[in-house]
Amino acid sequence: MKIGTPKEVEKGEARVAMTPDSARALQKLGYECMIQSGAGDAAGFADSAYEEAGVTVVKTADTLWKNADIIAKVRPPRETEVKKLTEGKLLISFFWPAQNEELMKQAADSGASVIAMDMVPRISRAQKMDALSSMANIAGYRAVIEAGNNFGRFFTGQITAAGKVPPARVLVVGAGVAGLAAIGTSTSLGAVTYAFDVRPEVAEQVESMGAEFVYLDFEEAAEDGAESGGYAKPSSPEFREAQLAKFRELAPDIDIVITTALIPNREAPELWTEDMVKAMKPGSVIVDLAAEKGGNCKLTVMDEKIVTDNGVTIIGYTDFPSRMATQSSTLYATNIRHLMTDLTPEKDGQTNHNMEDDVIRGATIAHAKEVTFPPPPPKVKAIAAQKPKPKVKEKTPEEKRAEEVAAFKAQTKSQVTLLTVGAVLILALGLIAPASFMQHFIVFVLSIFVGFNVIWGVSHSLHTPLMAVTNAISSIIILGALIQIGSSSFLVILLAAISVFMAGINIFGGFLVTRRMLAMFQKS
Amino acid sequence: MEYGFTTAAYVVAAVLFILSLGGLSGQESAKRAIWYGIVGMALAVVATLIGPGSGLWVVSVVLIGLGGAVGWQLANRVQMTQMPELVAAMHSLVGLAAVFVGFNADFTINMVGEAKMTGEAISGDFAMLVAKKTPVEIGILMVELSLGIFIGAITFTGSIIAYGKLAGKVDTGAKQLPGGHMLNLAAVIGSALMLVLYLGGAGSWTLFVMALLAFFIGYHLIMGIGGADMPVVVSMLNSYSGWAAAAIGFSLGNDLLIVVGALVGSSGAILSYIMCKGMNRSFVSVILGGWGGTTGEAAAVEGEQVSIDADGVASALDEADSVVIVPGYGMAVAQAQGNVAELTRRLREKGKTVRFAIHPVAGRLPGHMNVLLAEAKVPYDIVLEMEEINDDFPDTDVVIVIGSNDIVNPSAQDDPNSPIAGMPVLEVWKAKQVFVSKRGKGTGYSGIENPLFFKDNTRMFFGDAKKSLEELLTRLN
Repeated sequence: MKIGTPKEVEKGEARVAMTPDSARALQKLGYECMIQSGAGDAAGFADSAYEEAGVTVVKTADTLWKNADIIAKVRPPRETEVKKLTEGKLLISFFWPAQNEELMKQAADSGASVIAMDMVPRISRAQKMDALSSMANIAGYRAVIEAGNNFGRFFTGQITAAGKVPPARVLVVGAGVAGLAAIGTSTSLGAVTYAFDVRPEVAEQVESMGAEFVYLDFEEAAEDGAESGGYAKPSSPEFREAQLAKFRELAPDIDIVITTALIPNREAPELWTEDMVKAMKPGSVIVDLAAEKGGNCKLTVMDEKIVTDNGVTIIGYTDFPSRMATQSSTLYATNIRHLMTDLTPEKDGQTNHNMEDDVIRGATIAHAKEVTFPPPPPKVKAIAAQKPKPKVKEKTPEEKRAEEVAAFKAQTKSQVTLLTVGAVLILALGLIAPASFMQHFIVFVLSIFVGFNVIWGVSHSLHTPLMAVTNAISSIIILGALIQIGSSSFLVILLAAISVFMAGINIFGGFLVTRRMLAMFQKS
Repeated sequence: MEYGFTTAAYVVAAVLFILSLGGLSGQESAKRAIWYGIVGMALAVVATLIGPGSGLWVVSVVLIGLGGAVGWQLANRVQMTQMPELVAAMHSLVGLAAVFVGFNADFTINMVGEAKMTGEAISGDFAMLVAKKTPVEIGILMVELSLGIFIGAITFTGSIIAYGKLAGKVDTGAKQLPGGHMLNLAAVIGSALMLVLYLGGAGSWTLFVMALLAFFIGYHLIMGIGGADMPVVVSMLNSYSGWAAAAIGFSLGNDLLIVVGALVGSSGAILSYIMCKGMNRSFVSVILGGWGGTTGEAAAVEGEQVSIDADGVASALDEADSVVIVPGYGMAVAQAQGNVAELTRRLREKGKTVRFAIHPVAGRLPGHMNVLLAEAKVPYDIVLEMEEINDDFPDTDVVIVIGSNDIVNPSAQDDPNSPIAGMPVLEVWKAKQVFVSKRGKGTGYSGIENPLFFKDNTRMFFGDAKKSLEELLTRLN
């Protein structure tokens, strides 16, 4: 079958759904690839690069839509494009089915199948084709870069000959994929980064990226983020109040705010209110990644950069991934390639649209003349249920000290008890045993002590040689046999002789094999 | 004593033995220390031969020579992967020797008793020694030699079974006769009864019965222990062979035997303790077989194991700066240590940091992995212990797990209901990427699922470890 990618028709869209690299991988799956001339130009992939990768370059979009069995693109199709769909074709692109019901219906009626990249379910297996995450990752990164571009100071604190520069203070609201990417970028640029999310369970991830999680003094039954597929849910009014109060407290000190809070199928929640913007210092920057859904800040203007009266820059761009078209095209094309791998289990260039598969079923919105949106809930739950984590209380120095003393006391107690019991036992033994026995017994006990002290010092890596050498020296039992072999009884001589022979094997075998092993240990 | 010179030699030998064990604290000093052991042993044997063991000394020398030739052959032929078997087999010899020497002591007591009655002359050094003892001392002697026979007999059959399991000649699963540990208990009680009868003068047959019972205990006890617990078993048998020697030393009144027996006994005991700690299990639970009881339902593992091919591993290794390799018993089974060493060499040539992380219970013998890697010429200073390397995993780019499972299982830390909860494990999942080379999707020795294989940063590199690595080596340029 043939996979084709047309040039994006949306104005300003620089991404492309197929790269020379992804085309090579698709060809390995048995597909023929074609691309509309100039489709990759804006993303930095020239027609010649595609040709080199074995992709057929066609002149017009019409030829492509006509000849390709599978069309992969980035933006949702326009009505004119949907009209070109015919029975048996497969369209893969972002679709936003909830907003584009009309279009979806039209596509289903044409008899073609449509897979919406934005509907890929959030389960571990589908992560490799989760285009929303890969685009969000880019958006998060780019948001920080864009903020830095509009911010008049360094990110990192410096002490220079010309004076001291404090580090920038960045607040990231919403620690989803975009938020985490923004946190990572911001901390690696050297800014002091704070992050907030309504799901307290992400605090650990935030802290692992080097940011400080902003906790609220708010008691609420911990809600399980797993219930909603890892996405945030609307919060209670009380919680919202506590959250806004915290932000209000932070606002005057924050230089850069990056808001990424989105709730699926809803308008973006207002988190950065007008009075917070007013409280910020002139020159501060707000990047609102939720601008497309109305913005987390109500002053945001979609697709524009504005400066407020008090000198705060608010960036409301919605095309961050497109601004880094080479990177985002590479990731998106890889997501598509992974999806095709799942659709082509036989690697024979024929798709197997398996509607029993959770991932394929979830992402398919039109199939066999039917609208198949919304999908049934996936059989596998998105994320394992969170286990309540017992809070480890930080111990005060006094408590630690007390614990140490208690441990020391316990140790002393057990040692003294052991010694007392041991001493009493030995004394009791001494009462009944003759002196000749006790002489040997002293040697025995002392040897055990020496043994314990010496063996604890043996390096772990030499435990096998230790066993071999102790094995060799335990054949010291040969001395017993040697002493007995001079007996007058034949039976005794025989048994002693066998023992001498066996111990002989052990002595030589044990020492030699130890020596062989030790000789192998070499320093680099 | 008439043999002042012999006793002096024994003192020197004892010091040399202690030094030879102490020298094992470092790889370089160990190479010197082994000679202390050899000289000590030679000194002890020669001093005995020209002293109290001078009777039939020609026979003794010939027998030692013959045994030595066999031992020489064994030591030079054995593969390093077969070390556990060899060590187990050699323990059985010490055990059996202890049993024989113990019986000989009993025969001598009887002989001396008869000779005293009939007024015949007593010949033989040991017999002379016995003849001088008071009745109380004879009683103690009898207890000591019974202990020697009992421990020696357990060591003998136990080691043979351990050898069979390690060599794959006996089914490695935990198998017991109906009745289980009650049978062992009965045998122990029976042995105690025999001891009482023997002391009461019932005659040598009681000793035979006791030896047979002890043979049974050794057999049955080790049969009931699974293959992966063999490190503990072999250490334990090592310890027993020492205690047997010490008991015989008491009965013969020989201090060198006592010293060496105690040294070996404590060494084996410490090794067993370290192994048990490595599994967070008590010694008793290992010996009685099976894992400790769980307190609740273990958490189910959700997700999918994602596999990867040699190309993927090669490109990840190409980009990595620091690599840690975690070998396990699977590497020994697949004989993959040579390829692991080659991989290490190539990566190090490219200027990457490559280190090894060794869990205390990896393999079938304490320190097994170290010996295998040393054989393959991996420098020992990049082979690290668990405590040394566990904190470094978050800064590691790639971890390659080769044939290990339970020792890298995160449920030991995360899931309090897991059978292995609390066992110290290598925290490989904290690394940026983990590759697991494994034959199939099976579970480890503990029989539990390993959530590591389902983590997002884990990729499964399925296939025989040796073949997989060979393929990987061809992809690395």
